[in-house]
Formats: sequence, structure tokens, C-alpha cells
Amino acid sequence: MSIDFQQVRRQIIELGEAAERSVANNRRLLEEAQYLLHEHARDYDAVRRKIERVVQAYDRNLRCALPLDEALDQGYPLPPLPGQVAILAADGSQIAPSRHESFEYALVNVGAIHMELGAAQAPVLQVESRLLYEAQIEDLTDATLALLRDLGERRLLADLATELPPGAITLTDGQMELWLGEAGSRDEHSLFQESLLEYKLVLQQLRAAQASAAGYVDRPAGRGVMRMLEVLRMTEQELPEVRRSKPFRPLRDLHLFRGLLRPGERSALFEIQSPSSSFYADDLALHFFYLNVGLEGRDSLARVEVPRWVVDTPAMLDDLHAVLVQQCRVMGGRPYPYLLHRAHEIALVTLQEKEEITQMVLRELRGRGLEVFEKSNKQLAKDLESGRR
Amino acid sequence: MAAIEIGRLLRASNTGFVAGCRVAQLGSPEFGALVRVPLGPAYQIYGLIYDIRIEDDGLVRQLATVETVDAGTIADNRENRTTPIEISVLAAGYRQDGRLLHLLPPRPPLSLDLIYLCEPEEVRRFTAAGWFGYFRHVLRSVDLPVGELLAAHLQQAQQAHAAAGNPGWIEAAAQELIVLLRDDYQTLMAVLGALGDIAPFNR
Repeated sequence: MSIDFQQVRRQIIELGEAAERSVANNRRLLEEAQYLLHEHARDYDAVRRKIERVVQAYDRNLRCALPLDEALDQGYPLPPLPGQVAILAADGSQIAPSRHESFEYALVNVGAIHMELGAAQAPVLQVESRLLYEAQIEDLTDATLALLRDLGERRLLADLATELPPGAITLTDGQMELWLGEAGSRDEHSLFQESLLEYKLVLQQLRAAQASAAGYVDRPAGRGVMRMLEVLRMTEQELPEVRRSKPFRPLRDLHLFRGLLRPGERSALFEIQSPSSSFYADDLALHFFYLNVGLEGRDSLARVEVPRWVVDTPAMLDDLHAVLVQQCRVMGGRPYPYLLHRAHEIALVTLQEKEEITQMVLRELRGRGLEVFEKSNKQLAKDLESGRR
Repeated sequence: MAAIEIGRLLRASNTGFVAGCRVAQLGSPEFGALVRVPLGPAYQIYGLIYDIRIEDDGLVRQLATVETVDAGTIADNRENRTTPIEISVLAAGYRQDGRLLHLLPPRPPLSLDLIYLCEPEEVRRFTAAGWFGYFRHVLRSVDLPVGELLAAHLQQAQQAHAAAGNPGWIEAAAQELIVLLRDDYQTLMAVLGALGDIAPFNR
């Protein structure tokens, strides 16, 4: 007995009814958001001033978009592909420690792939596997392990890009801003601060190598532009309530730019206003744009995060824009950058590989005459269940 | 001349085995070729390649639907990705303590054993040993394209024998097949039809 499908069925009907009710309301909200975007499309300075004032006076934790100097309601066309450019992508996966296993250890596995655009040679792969044990896994949580993985991805890319001529494009999956999650213990925050400092060094290394860096977010849930519009629709008298006022809450930026961007086009560039903005200052300040990587009649929007040095170098930005669309088109009807997918394949630790590593660890310990425990009874029982399925 | 390695063993039984190989190794093995698996100084298993299978996966299927796939992506999928190329081999005999036998091997090879292509001298030695006993293993394999497999094998073996001044080998092999298949008209016609397409018979 696993799921009571009768119960779920009733709830699915309610879900359908709620979705039906939301359609009209969301359409009205979207029309209002689109109107505001057009209305303020060129008020860059006024919009920035209002948001900066709100941050200072009412909400220091405000997360939203800040316009630069591009019209907010326009699409920016696909630039030509650069003749020759190195593209690097990295991804990571991890094994979290479990006290129910025979031996407690963690593993961070980072894979990178390097391809020369237009070259006929097979790309070059690189994997870095790091085993963590004993003191290294004390206080290690899922969040801090993910942080080590994210940092490992970027460090590997920076090291590889340093060896290449200027202009290399480096890609990771997900946002560029290192993220610990909402909560977090004191230990987690301490590690997070250390990681942030190292991340800053990695970004500086990439900038020094004159490589571009980008975080690619597929089906983005971000609503930074929506939040910006929510601030814009508020009167001066309403601003003190800015934290609670989220009228466009059901909508994401995705909804706003769908239909606005034609295949291959990017949106205007925005700077990220967030509590961590002060950390990513100057050349490292994080920016983003939306990109329609789909085909005619089959829009597919991604969010691309880049640091300021990429934004400030038009050739770098154009190359990144063109290469991302090219990489997505390699995958045909399901656009996603090919090299990011390959980096994921390279980095992925399968259950079989995890079991193999565990056996290697146990053989090593037994070979040294050390005591080795069995898996916990709970884990053994679970393994029985999974074996039956 | 260095032995040509074509892959490593994935799975096996007494009657046959399957090897996995990289794209870079795929140039050597051919349908019908004789291969060997050395299992020690005095024991070696022989077999005939009856199938070369290139497996797909989700990514390859997706890429196949795209209008043009660039050379770098093709090279990546062929050289870097672990999409296996599987070579199926029918066990044809073995050599033990210097003696060649066209019998099923007493024990199969083990996982990851290396598999080599037989050189012409070994092909001559194996196919000239006894009296075509290994044909039995081919002829009783109901799921194989028996005629095509025999034609491909005979053509390759005939080249090895002819090069060594023994052009009559293939005539003897064909006569033996006719004898073995005298009560199976359908298979005999399929085998003879395929043999008719190979060099010594289609002049």
C-alpha cells in the first residue's frame, strides 16, 4: 500500500478547478505587468533611483532586477557565431554521508568538458573526484556539500580557462550567485562566508583570463523583473508596505518575456539587486538576461546570469549569446546547452558507482585489518524493498 | 606484427560471448571474422563474429532528430561517451595444450578478458584443423543469418588459404556444407545462395 489514489484523485480535481480560476486572474495581472514594462521601458535612471531608495529606506533584503541602459521591452537579435572560440562547461554531483551505510564518507565529483567551436575533434573531458571523511564530514550538511560542489565546478573552470587564449566561454548550470538556502546553522554560515571569498577569487581568476562566465538557468523560476514592476506600481505612500506587496506573485519573469522575445533573441540586461549585491561588487556584480533558445513557434526561455565584466565587453556578451543559442540548437527540439548536458553526464555519480566506491573503501579497511561495520538494519531493510521493486 | 585487440569481454557462456569495444577499435572486426580470447599460455578460445551492434541512448536519439549535427558533437558521442558497441561472437572451438579442437570450450572467458582478431596464419591453422567441425556450431544456430555468416567467414578464410598457396580449401569447405545440409534443403539453398555471391564462386 503506498498511495491512496482515491484521495489524490479528489485533490487533483480541486487542483484543476483552482487552475481554471487562476487563468483569468493571471491573464489580467500579466497584462498589467506588460503595460508597466512598456511604460517604464526607457526610464532606466528613474527606475534605478526608486529601487535604490526602497532598498535604503524600506527593504534591505529586496531581490529584484535593476535596469541598465537597454530598452526593457525589446528583444536583442542573435549575433553571428564567433569563428573560433573555446567553450568550457562544468557540472557536479555528490554523495552525501549517511550513518546508515557501512562507512561514512562523502564525495564531490566535478566534471568538465572543453570543446573548440567548429572543430571536428572530440572535446576533452576532465573529472575531479574528492573523497571526504572523518573531520571533513563533521557538521557537513546537504547545503554545505552542495556549496563545495558548486565551488568545485567554478574552480575547475577557472583553472582550465587560465590555460586557454582569451575569449573562452565558461558555463555552469544554475544561477551564478552562490546560494546556501534560506535557513542555515552558524557552521553553515561560516563555511558559506569562506566559500564566498574563494568564489570571489575564482571569478577574478576568470576575469584575469579574459574568459566569460555564465550560469544557465533552464525554465527559470526567477521573478526579479516582476518584483521590479511591483515596486514601480507602488505610490510613494504605499512604499513602506513594499515587503508585503506582491500583487504579481503568481507570475514569473518567464511569463513576461514569453512572446516578447523571438527565437534567438535576448532580453535587456539587468543587474541583480539582492542582499548579496555588496559582495559581488564592481566587475563581479551579477547581471542577467532572458534568452529565447527555442525555435519558431516553440519558444523556450532560459535565464543567463553573467558578471559585470561580461556585460561591459560587448564582444564577449555577443559571443556568449550566440554560442548559447548554438549549443541549444545542437539538442534540437529540446533546447539545452549540449556541453552542459555532457558536463552533467560526466559528473553524475550513479548508484552503482556509489556502491563500487563503498566496496573499495571497505576493501581498503579490511585489508588493513580494521573493523568494518555492516549497513544499519534500517538501510538493509530499505535495500530489500528497493530490490523487490 | 602486433595482435589486433578488438575489445573486452562483457558477458559469456560456453556457446558464445559478447565483447564491448570503442569506436576507435571498430575498424578491425568484421562480420564473419575469426577472433580469439587467450585465457592463459595453454588455453585459447576461438569464435566467429556474427553480430556487431551499436547501441543508442536518449541523447543519441535526440541528436538523430536534429537537421545537422556538427563534427565535434559526432566525435564526442563516438569517442567520449560510453554508448557501447557490442560484438557478438559464436564459440567455434578452442586450443588447449597445443591441440586445436572444434568443440565448445570447456569454460567460457571471463569479464573484461581481451579479445583479439585472428591473423591469417591463425585463421589457416584453425580452419584447417580437423574437418570443418566448427560448421556444426554455425548450422545449429537458428537465430543467426547462417548463410550470410558462412559466406563472410569462408571469403575471409579463403583469402588466408589462397595467400598461403592453398586455393582448394574453399572447395572442400563448400562440399562439406553440402554434405552437412543434405537433409535441410531450405538452409542449403540459403547457404549456397550466399556463397554464390562471394569471390571464388561468382566469376
